[in-house]
Amino acid sequence: MTVRPRLLLVDDEISIQRAVGPLLRSRGYDVEIAGTGGEALTLVADRAPDLIVLDLGLPDLEGTEVCRRIREHLKVPIIVLSARGAEADKVNALDVGADDYVTKPFGPEELLARIRVALRRVMSEDTAESGLLRAGDLTVDYDRRRVLRGHAEIRLTPKELDLLTLLVRNRDRVLTHRAILKAIWGANAVEQPEHLWTLVAQLRRKIEPDPSNPRYLFSEPWVGYRFATGEPENAG
Amino acid sequence: MTLVYVWWLHVTNATTVALTFLLVVLVTAATSKLRDAVVTSVAAMLCFNFFFLPPVGTWTIADPQNWVALFVFVAVSLVASRLSHVARARTDEAIVRRDELARLFDLSRDVLAMTASPDAVSHLARAIARRFDLEYVALALPGSDGWSIAAAGGRAVLLDEHQLTDVFDGAARSLEFDARARTYAGHRSVDADGRTVRLVPLRVGTRPVGLLAASGRPIEPGTLDTLAGVVAIAIERMQFLEERKTAELTRQSEELKTALLASLGHDLRTPLTAIRVAAGSLKASWLTGGERAEQSDVILSEVERLTRLFHNVLEMARIDAGAIAKEPRWTHPAEVVAAARDQVAHTLREHRVVVTTEPDVPVQLDARLTASALAHVLENAAQYAPRGTSIEVTTDLTEAGLVIRVRDHGPGLPAVDLPHVFDRFYRGAASRTRASGSGMGLWIARGLLAAEQGRIWAENCSDGGARFTISVPVSVANASEATAS
Repeated sequence: MTVRPRLLLVDDEISIQRAVGPLLRSRGYDVEIAGTGGEALTLVADRAPDLIVLDLGLPDLEGTEVCRRIREHLKVPIIVLSARGAEADKVNALDVGADDYVTKPFGPEELLARIRVALRRVMSEDTAESGLLRAGDLTVDYDRRRVLRGHAEIRLTPKELDLLTLLVRNRDRVLTHRAILKAIWGANAVEQPEHLWTLVAQLRRKIEPDPSNPRYLFSEPWVGYRFATGEPENAG
Repeated sequence: MTLVYVWWLHVTNATTVALTFLLVVLVTAATSKLRDAVVTSVAAMLCFNFFFLPPVGTWTIADPQNWVALFVFVAVSLVASRLSHVARARTDEAIVRRDELARLFDLSRDVLAMTASPDAVSHLARAIARRFDLEYVALALPGSDGWSIAAAGGRAVLLDEHQLTDVFDGAARSLEFDARARTYAGHRSVDADGRTVRLVPLRVGTRPVGLLAASGRPIEPGTLDTLAGVVAIAIERMQFLEERKTAELTRQSEELKTALLASLGHDLRTPLTAIRVAAGSLKASWLTGGERAEQSDVILSEVERLTRLFHNVLEMARIDAGAIAKEPRWTHPAEVVAAARDQVAHTLREHRVVVTTEPDVPVQLDARLTASALAHVLENAAQYAPRGTSIEVTTDLTEAGLVIRVRDHGPGLPAVDLPHVFDRFYRGAASRTRASGSGMGLWIARGLLAAEQGRIWAENCSDGGARFTISVPVSVANASEATAS
């Protein structure tokens, strides 16, 4: 692992490049900047960045297409920048492999927080995949299919455990409703999100200290869910 | 008469006489009315009996065979009279029908040529009056606030609205069959101003949509019915055209709103993000002097961009509202160009602008509108031509007025875009996701120029690059006035 993580910023707007580039550099990242999708793909191949910040509105290629092509052979985290209201674009990007998204116009802390979370996840994956995950007072033991809060075991139904395992394995990433439905109920269920709402509500009642104010299982409105391990969202 | 003639010739053969008489009866039937033919038949029969059938000179008939002959003679002459009469009546009727058909055909042609316009209904009424030679024709259409009546013809008749309502309601309630006229029309004759006016419901299918009032030449009920049908279809068609026009306008305005929102969404989001990030960075203490200046610059240029966008939206709203008035005043072409450059100095800083203003004599025009329009054209050139290229502005005075040409050395206008460059929110087909440009500028330029009767057009130069030409009518000062002002 390099000391200074290398970031690739892909946005065709000069003003965004001029504002976001220095921001990231000032926080200790090495930043490469690409103005087009083609340029981005070349830089990804040449420099192997640790994380990519990708605007969905590019002049030459669709952002989702860039995302898909990167995912074909790399696991590098991708955070997409998208317009508010363009939920379909976000969902598409996440479905083809993006990890997270930030809605324009965003503030500096919001973007930085997402970058930190995504990088940390990569590093934790690099270091250990022990079959045991601790988040706050929650312990998920994949191998024995057990979940502990503190030292007390929480009894989960098989579906609840499946959902929790899926989210925890993809912690700090946004999983789209579609992706979750497909993983848990199969491809035929992707048009029936009501299963998911019910299951999430049940799971929250069991694992969250305060189910109406979740600290682990976050909703991303109209997009999907995210299991957060670390810092609470302080951006806004 | 024939009798005497036959008497003289001493023809006594009953058969010859009967045949000759029959000929006379037929000729009479063919040329005059049925009544005359019957009278002739009866007279011929009596003469035949009295003078030729034995015993001659008496009304009695001795031989029963001659009774038969007499009876056959009467029957044949009556049938012949009747047939000939019917044939003639048919011919007359056919002539009338043909005449009315021709009139209907002419009217249908008039109807098809009609376009939707506010006075289309009175045009229609006039067309009916002309085609059918009527003294008075009126088309009465029920509206939310009483009847709207379009009248035509040489005579004015005041129709009673209550009567109209009665007839119309009757037509709406029931569909009656007129056995004599063989129609479902429900025609009514009313007296208005001492004249008999025929009221015919205009029906589309069976539903009445209005009334046709006609007075003057009598028209066959069947023809009147067909006429009413044609008129009803014409009115329906006009209403449909009117509705379609309204719907089309609504759709266009909806489309514009959507385009405006999409354009604003795109054009606001990027500057806001850049400003937010840069301002956040400025607040932090870790920036070096150079970085601080850089971030301030980002904020300033993005604020400039937002200001320009805001200005565009306002100008667009003013053009839409027709709130732009021309305020001509004396100025120099060079001043207009300078003012325009000044407005978009920020966008133009990456390009070299070469200005030629020959001859620079005072002209009278709305300097504000012209400069604003020119600024939009310059901005457009700066957005599409690569950085560092030159933009040439030349002014010229011609008979058409002040002509300003803006020539850039960019990629030129693709043929597909050329007809649309002045459309609102149109952004070149190839530059859909281009960073700059909202598709408003050139539309605004055209709108501003239209307010001062000016024109703008675009073309590609043979050696690359696009040329936009603005032409504004001006008054040119003569030498003495120029020095005075």
